[in-house]
Amino acid sequence: MQPVYCFINRLFKPKFQSMQSENFSPKDSLLLIDSMINQAKNRFTENGFLYLLWGWLIFISAVSHFILLKTRLLKHPEMIWMSCWVAIIFQIIYLVRKNKKEKVKTYSDGIIDNIWMCFGICMMVLIIIVSRNNLWIYMYPFTLMIYGIPTFLSGVTMQFTPLKIGGISCWALAILSTITLPIYYLLLLAAAVLIAWIIPGYLLRKKFKNQH
Amino acid sequence: MDFKELDPILHSQLRLAVVSLLISVREAEFTFLKEKTNSTAGNLSVQINKLKDAGYIEVTKQFSKNYPQTICKITKKGIESFEDYVKALQSYMNPGGN
Repeated sequence: MQPVYCFINRLFKPKFQSMQSENFSPKDSLLLIDSMINQAKNRFTENGFLYLLWGWLIFISAVSHFILLKTRLLKHPEMIWMSCWVAIIFQIIYLVRKNKKEKVKTYSDGIIDNIWMCFGICMMVLIIIVSRNNLWIYMYPFTLMIYGIPTFLSGVTMQFTPLKIGGISCWALAILSTITLPIYYLLLLAAAVLIAWIIPGYLLRKKFKNQH
Repeated sequence: MDFKELDPILHSQLRLAVVSLLISVREAEFTFLKEKTNSTAGNLSVQINKLKDAGYIEVTKQFSKNYPQTICKITKKGIESFEDYVKALQSYMNPGGN
């Protein structure tokens, strides 16, 4: 291999005399490329904040809605879900600030952002269909089914098993809803966000803190 | 032995490190590249300009909270040149083509 290195050195030395760093072998080049690609690839950018925000918000709202329905304390207990609009506005501000702060944007970040954007659109479409046809009874089972998609795909993209388990759990709970009384759908929803978002959210936060 | 010519723009440790990092991500800020390559700001800036002049990367300058931010992104030409560079390296590593 030595003659090859000499050949490369002879080829580039005149141009690179001013900079020692150019006198490196093809093997060194490949090692450098491998090291840099691995450094960028292993970077974990998800801190779990939005999983925890939405997880806890949906969990508290679903449990509160269930309690209010059981106790009949409010005439319109479903109003509790209006808190989601506040969270949406907060999320937009948070994401704009986070994007500005981020030193690097990976391809997987872009894929995950688009997956969650599709989820948001699907939820909006579902609300429109359900409200126009007065099919509110199906709202929660379909929501559980849709929750599973971005959660599972995010888990696959990030290679993060708790999210994959969370996604599968959402689908299992959606099936379970077929043999459950509608009032308990809210508890199934609370269970889904606990398994799919809250627990993975804390694990993501721990992983992020360990890496940074 | 048929040796492919190594692209002189990429055959520099720092420029190759920058391109290798940018090939793995969608875009990266100057400070990220500086941190990962362990280089000085001055040297990195010079090498980034060389890559930009060659059309291998796109450089966007913007302000975030009154601080200047330099965002770098690899171009299609940069990706193609990187792939050719790796193929050329392989020809040196396996001169017989095995």
